[in-house]
Amino acid sequence: MSAVFDRIDPRTEGSALTSTGEARDFFELLKPRVMLLVVVTALTGMATAPGSVHPVLGLAALLAIAVGAGASGCLNMWYDADIDKLMTRTAKRPIPAGRILPSEALAFGLTLSVGSVLVLGLVANLLAAGMLAFTIFFYAVVYSMWLKRWTPQNIVIGGAAGAFPPMIGEAVVTGDFGMHSLVLFAIIFLWTPPHFWALALVKSDDYARAGIPMLPNVAGAAATRRQIMAYSLVMAPVAVLPALMGFGGLIYLVVSVITGLAMIGLAVRVLRTTQGEAASKACYALFGFSILYLFLLFAVLLAENSLGLMWALPKVIG
Amino acid sequence: MSEAPKRPKAPAFTPEDLARRRRRSVALALVLAGLVVFFFVVTLVKTGPAIMNRPL
Repeated sequence: MSAVFDRIDPRTEGSALTSTGEARDFFELLKPRVMLLVVVTALTGMATAPGSVHPVLGLAALLAIAVGAGASGCLNMWYDADIDKLMTRTAKRPIPAGRILPSEALAFGLTLSVGSVLVLGLVANLLAAGMLAFTIFFYAVVYSMWLKRWTPQNIVIGGAAGAFPPMIGEAVVTGDFGMHSLVLFAIIFLWTPPHFWALALVKSDDYARAGIPMLPNVAGAAATRRQIMAYSLVMAPVAVLPALMGFGGLIYLVVSVITGLAMIGLAVRVLRTTQGEAASKACYALFGFSILYLFLLFAVLLAENSLGLMWALPKVIG
Repeated sequence: MSEAPKRPKAPAFTPEDLARRRRRSVALALVLAGLVVFFFVVTLVKTGPAIMNRPL
């Protein structure tokens, strides 16, 4: 009997059906920092799309995309609560810390998932709504429930979920996908492995304790460092493509080249610095800079395409 | 007839627990009110001036 009630309320071992978690605990379930990244990338997808949308409907669509992304994060936290409590990085999340019940998180995540998809379908179009539904499914089911605990390529394939928002943004405006959002997808997709593996290198003990087959735990640190280098070398040139395709201007060209070279430089440092405190510092430096890098790329593209800051360059590709 | 199994007694909520739940309820009410405004504005924008153009 107690096992049943432990599932209902691990905090009190009693029969309470709801926790005493506050609004901020529920907000934390939505992974606000990931939501912010989704908002910026989806908005950039909308801004670079050929066409326009009514600002109120665009804002409403953006809200739906952000809530959908938050819902998938919530479902991820619900499913991963058992391993989250084993890792220092995630043990303080609302469910493992006992502030929110698993059943509450599941209901919250499912409600927001359905609601966000319906709203996006109403304010934008069915393609954008279908794409958002697929993104939620991909992150919550394909990545969280399947890939994450099964293969060291988990974040490579799962990274697609984080890369879809610019495509949803373009679909909101045009009702279709084009090369612009595909390039933005590719940038985020190629950025994900070096970003996460830099963290996984320093948190490999955490992942080992939780039994997650991250690349450093399965293939070793040396192989992971080589993979980080390889992905960075491919990602940096791809990130310049918007300038060559005409939807990124002069500022974007300069920023993407300089920050791309910095990413490669930090990846080289991770590759060469393999021992002691310096190795951890190199990994943290790459991890931290990679966040700034992606934000900068998308923020500059957004500013150029929406604030009239575009110094157009001759179109080289497309 | 056998007696129904007893449910474990629920722990009493402390005043702090109740205050947290109240804050949560207020936040939920604000979100719901926001949704009402959201759907109203979106409906106006989607329908446009035609929203007034209907038989009485």
